[in-house]
Amino acid sequence: MTRTPHARAAAALAVLLLFPALADAQELRWGTDPTGGAPFVYKPPGATEADPYIGFEVELADYLAKKLGRTSVLVDGLWKSLPELLDKPRTGEKGIDIVLNGYEERDDLKAKYAATVPYYVYRLALIARDDADFRDWGDLKAKAGQVGVLGESAAAVYAKRLFGEGRVLESDDVENVVGMVKDGRLAATVQDGPAAAHFVKKYPELRTVGTGRQPGYYVIYLRKGDDRLRAQLDQAIQDGFADGTLQRIYRKYGVWNEDQEWLAHRYTGTWPVPIDQEELAAEAGGGSIRKLIPQLLKAAGMTVLLAVTSFPLAMLAGMLVALVRVYGPRWLGVPLGVYVEVIRGTPLLLQLYVIFYMLPKALPALALDPLYAGIIGLAINYSAYEAENYRAGLRAIPRGQMEAALSLGMTRLTALRRIIVPQAFRIVIPPVTNDFIALFKDTSVCSVILITELTRKYNELYNFNRDLVVELAVLTAGLYLVMSYPLALLAGWLERRTGTHGGTR
Amino acid sequence: MIRVSNLTKSYGSTRILDDVSLEVRQGEVTALVGPSGGGKSTLLRCINGLEDFQAGEVAVGDVNLVGGRPHPTADLLRLRKRVGMVFQQFHLFPHMSALQNVLSGPLYALGESRAAAEPRAKALLERVGLGHKLDARPANLSGGQQQRVAIARALAVNPAAILFDEPTSALDPQMAKEVLAVMRDLAEDGQTMAIVSHDLASISRIAHTIHILERGRVVFSGPVEQAFGDDGPARRLMD
Repeated sequence: MTRTPHARAAAALAVLLLFPALADAQELRWGTDPTGGAPFVYKPPGATEADPYIGFEVELADYLAKKLGRTSVLVDGLWKSLPELLDKPRTGEKGIDIVLNGYEERDDLKAKYAATVPYYVYRLALIARDDADFRDWGDLKAKAGQVGVLGESAAAVYAKRLFGEGRVLESDDVENVVGMVKDGRLAATVQDGPAAAHFVKKYPELRTVGTGRQPGYYVIYLRKGDDRLRAQLDQAIQDGFADGTLQRIYRKYGVWNEDQEWLAHRYTGTWPVPIDQEELAAEAGGGSIRKLIPQLLKAAGMTVLLAVTSFPLAMLAGMLVALVRVYGPRWLGVPLGVYVEVIRGTPLLLQLYVIFYMLPKALPALALDPLYAGIIGLAINYSAYEAENYRAGLRAIPRGQMEAALSLGMTRLTALRRIIVPQAFRIVIPPVTNDFIALFKDTSVCSVILITELTRKYNELYNFNRDLVVELAVLTAGLYLVMSYPLALLAGWLERRTGTHGGTR
Repeated sequence: MIRVSNLTKSYGSTRILDDVSLEVRQGEVTALVGPSGGGKSTLLRCINGLEDFQAGEVAVGDVNLVGGRPHPTADLLRLRKRVGMVFQQFHLFPHMSALQNVLSGPLYALGESRAAAEPRAKALLERVGLGHKLDARPANLSGGQQQRVAIARALAVNPAAILFDEPTSALDPQMAKEVLAVMRDLAEDGQTMAIVSHDLASISRIAHTIHILERGRVVFSGPVEQAFGDDGPARRLMD
């Protein structure tokens, strides 16, 4: 413990702080979300932890880094929060120079960040089973069937506009959505061109339907003011198109097509027609918070629906489980004890996955609508917690209550119904209210099974309205509060009304 | 009315009741007395089917409970409609008013209509001196008042006999007096009762017959006068 090492460390730190450029100027740190999958950034099947990521964006990043005389460093993050990483210093934890991960060119993002020239032109593709009975987007529009999309993507916005909000189901997991189309549980899915190309190749029973729609650019986002880096990247992208490097990379992953041809020609100055690119921000509902409120309210309606349907079921099931465990036969009580431990010991998310994705694979008749799967999943999950609440409540009733009821000649069942349960009910009002409020917020987990409730809608709006981040967050939190606070009031009222004190009623 | 024959009950290896036989006749007030742990309360609970027993028999009217096996539910239901019970700790239903407590038996055990049961329930509360407390919750009643509601509740199902398990032990002397007054009133009406009590002085003024239990055995059975006579066995207990 001498002073010297401290002083040395302090000096080193000062150097790092004062001259960040010296610290790692040789790196090109690019933010990406590897869970987005093939063909963007992924690991091939069978790859181990140690194997590097591959994908056309990995090779693009490597190419760009090489052109800039730097080394490419992949920094992983959540796709939708990648731009936020640019708000932090590039030298810190998860510090990045650029966002490179299938991000569309969008006005709301360009208001906050700088963007390069496009490195890719995508179109939305409609994917369906090979035996689907529609030939084009318009055909499907006229027919029934639900359409899955990646939540918060441009594809989601377009699909909702074309097919109507009610027919579009959103998920964070592209694999799942595509899998449901493959299994015939969804009519089709709308995907960005590169992903579509990948999945159609991977699953022979799928094909793209009609022509690609709604073209847009993928661009690289970076900090405003990073003009030198931006100019270098712009140059590198254009050079890459001109000398065929990007064509080689894109072809390797099956994502080179006419649109890229067009882009290449544009950079080399021989293609006259610019793509119409203006609509995206407008149709995402961008702009004023006032336009977003009705959408949030509608999604909040779904949250309420999920909560008020699933919780009574959970209470009923929980009460039955608790009654059997406290007053019923052991041969039934023991398995129910196992049920409670398994259900409350495993994540709700996992349970919803099992109910919605796994069970139908075992038994196709169990393919539930997302809404029903969500209600049942929440009800099952919370039934375990309610069972424990009620068990505590039942145990708190003195044994003499049951004996007094029996000695009057009541049957056990009548005694439970008239004497024991009403008393237990009152005892458990506070913890049960607590769980109801918790369930209100847990409904957000249902977004993994393609239900658009308040949190998913918030994420979606947030994604396309980066300029309204604070307003959206406050509004969404406020809606949850407005929904759950009356429950607390109701519980207080119930508690007073059913109280054992207070003379009359 | 109530006949207990050779009843034996054990918890594990501890014998609580050992070959107990006794009889409670119609219209008779019977007191079960003796030192703590003598098995008095357990005997009462066996008579009402709240406890199983290993051997012997309990007969109430035409219902027989036989030791050594679980009692059939139907027998228990019939038995309990003939035998009411009043507990040391009252065990009123705290979520119900006094009137609702008294109504609970007629409504939920006998299946009577509220219209039919309510006048009688009110009359019973009147009889125990609580006609003005119909709507009070148990939490707002004194211990003596609660025990009197409990007696009215037991009476409401028209039992042939009522078992009292230490009815005044949880009460202070003043409240105990209220409850004892009600019990004496019932006794004078010819209500069949079996009372477990420590309060020998009070009980001697109500009971006709005394059984003394010690260590699970009946060591004395006979008329009150004999038990409390100069050399009576009850004298010994009081000292």
